[in-house]
Amino acid sequence: MRFDVVATHFRTVVESVGSADELAIAMGMITPLLGFEHYALSHHVDAAHGNAVRLHDYPERWASYYERNALSVTDPVHRASHVTSSGFCWSNMPNMIPLTAGDRRMLALGRDQGIGDGFTVPAHVPGEARGSCSFANRAGRPMPAHMLPLAQLAGNFAFEAARRLWTTRGHRSTPRPVLTDRQRDCMLWVARGKSDWEVGCILGISEETVARHVRNACERYGVNKRTLLVIRTLFDGTLTFTDLVGR
Amino acid sequence: MLHVLQSAGGPASDDALRAMFAARKSVFVDLLKWDVPVIDDTYEVDQFDDVHATYLILAEPDGAHLGSARLLQTTRPHILDSLYGMLCEEAPPRAADILEITRFCLDRRLTARERRAVRDTLVTTLVEHALANGIRAYTAIAEIGWFQQILAFGWQCAPLGLSQIVDGAMLVALRIDVTSETPALLARAGIMAPPIRRDERLAA
Repeated sequence: MRFDVVATHFRTVVESVGSADELAIAMGMITPLLGFEHYALSHHVDAAHGNAVRLHDYPERWASYYERNALSVTDPVHRASHVTSSGFCWSNMPNMIPLTAGDRRMLALGRDQGIGDGFTVPAHVPGEARGSCSFANRAGRPMPAHMLPLAQLAGNFAFEAARRLWTTRGHRSTPRPVLTDRQRDCMLWVARGKSDWEVGCILGISEETVARHVRNACERYGVNKRTLLVIRTLFDGTLTFTDLVGR
Repeated sequence: MLHVLQSAGGPASDDALRAMFAARKSVFVDLLKWDVPVIDDTYEVDQFDDVHATYLILAEPDGAHLGSARLLQTTRPHILDSLYGMLCEEAPPRAADILEITRFCLDRRLTARERRAVRDTLVTTLVEHALANGIRAYTAIAEIGWFQQILAFGWQCAPLGLSQIVDGAMLVALRIDVTSETPALLARAGIMAPPIRRDERLAA
């Protein structure tokens, strides 16, 4: 297969696939060419989260168990994909993140259900939920090592194709909360662990004013705890981890 | 303010250039730990920063650097053909109307929100520059995480070869085609920039 043909194919999938069903057909064609039996495209949030990307051809029993237990959030494969930007084999996960007993049980269960070993391509677009594209085989099938560089690119393009479909379905249509600059200043120091009194001293405003900014910021995001607000602002790019640790 | 500059007088000849070379040192050497030459412990300047390079520099009115990119002619030695030819399945694209984007640099002083605005402005500026100057495509090399973001800008983008690990980082060579459709594609992906003042000249 000539590379420019493959590259054009990837580009075509991203630019012309018009529905989840069409993307599923394209993935169903690409996956075996890469030496895998299954694929899964997903944003790493609970499926209850309306517009999250979720497209796969995993065995039905495993998929429903996975959804029922909201495993997407704790899935070690997803967690591992947050510590690297390049594709990895699941067998390498113990070197990437600490695996709990629960993680090992989940991986064993997946193996029993036909999802044994896989290769996952992380996909992170700042300001949006992290996601990934995984290719998987039942246990015992050899990892198609020579195809992994191609699987990497296929994963990048497939995720972007899915992202565009789900985005036009309204992912962007709900206006995202925006903080005032002063609210953001306050949140930055709150996220760095400062009390309202300390934040007030740093910004030269009263403790009460800080508390009001934080309260108003919570209202804009519809959350009732400042910890949740910190998480949401990190998640949507209002704050970054670099902001928190300073430079 | 946007400066479009072609340098002829070396790094000290212009404030915008000097601020950019310092910002590049801060980003590529101090932060990303690239092994590239540094002048006077302050400026990141390499063999491709010569009279043939073009710079797009976004700066504050007082000259402070916000973001920048360097454009190299693909008909002359450039990064893809000189250093990373192995990332291309075939010969690197080479034509008078194809330029290579290198040193895409967002200033480290920016907050997350500002970074995003400057990034979007720089991306739209690259497209406007291409359309205004008859450039039909850009080539570039990207770390794979950045590549996912580049795809998300919505423009027409394809890999030139398989991604490979080079000095510990997974890199991919890519080509971006620019047509009259491209601004609309960017806008659809949410990449838009406010109009900015221009300063287009040849620095002597």
